[in-house]
Amino acid sequence: MKIFIRLVILIIPIVGFVFFYNLLTEDKFYPGANFDRFNVPVFALDDITSQKIYTKDDLNDELLLNVWASWCITCRVEHGFLMELKQEGFLITGLNYKDESTDANNWLNLYGNPYSFSLHDIKGSLALDMGVTGAPETFLIKNGEVLVHYSGEVNLAVWDNVFYPVIKENKMFR
Amino acid sequence: MKKIVLLNLLFSICFIQGNEVYKFHSLEDEKRFYDLIQEIRCPKCTSGSIASSNAPVSEDLKNKIAELINEGYSDKEIKEYAKARFGNEVLYNPEVNSSTYLLWYGPFIFLFMILTGFFFRRKSQ
Repeated sequence: MKIFIRLVILIIPIVGFVFFYNLLTEDKFYPGANFDRFNVPVFALDDITSQKIYTKDDLNDELLLNVWASWCITCRVEHGFLMELKQEGFLITGLNYKDESTDANNWLNLYGNPYSFSLHDIKGSLALDMGVTGAPETFLIKNGEVLVHYSGEVNLAVWDNVFYPVIKENKMFR
Repeated sequence: MKKIVLLNLLFSICFIQGNEVYKFHSLEDEKRFYDLIQEIRCPKCTSGSIASSNAPVSEDLKNKIAELINEGYSDKEIKEYAKARFGNEVLYNPEVNSSTYLLWYGPFIFLFMILTGFFFRRKSQ
């Protein structure tokens, strides 16, 4: 019995150490407790210039879908990096979230437009269907399938750690 | 005349500001709705249910749940809908499956181990 207790006293800290060591040194991007790849839901939305109604088929084969709004301050922070990505040749489509089209267009005119076009989701219906909780959020989509869903500002560190490995693995944007 | 216009304006403001009114086919559906929104966590403010939250995403989710109930979805299907989009943590009661066995049965196993240890100690003395 004494041996048993001594063993337990020895094992508990070892288990704890191994557990926290694994937890703290894991540098793999952790997309959430049960992130599964999913298909982009079916939608039909105006773009913010109200020129055309877009559906799922109008999305390119490979793109970044960025959820943004003129009222969103972090989107303003993220904006510069998105402009750089655009210049490097990455295709970014906007999903304008709960925003007035005039505000959205003014924002793009003022700061510059990194998007191929921006869907106007004033009610947030497509956003809800894709599990968006706020802005900014960014999706990496290949052939209608979402490979990455990132909530928060995309910057160089996030790009290198989260998006770039998946892009490389799936041989995208070549 | 001016007063009437002003009064009208005030009332219309009340109407616009008023909370969303959910309409259901039956009283049972309405009850299901209020039970469901207690069981689903707000994705934006994780320490409250969507019933207690008026974050935009919670309002959207409540509207969607009302819509799904009216379309005849079952409680299980609605929970699946929320779970597929906002992750397992969106449900207040974790489901019983292979990844949560330890969570549900762990305390009983622990209790069993302690009781066994306790009785063995008694015997050896």
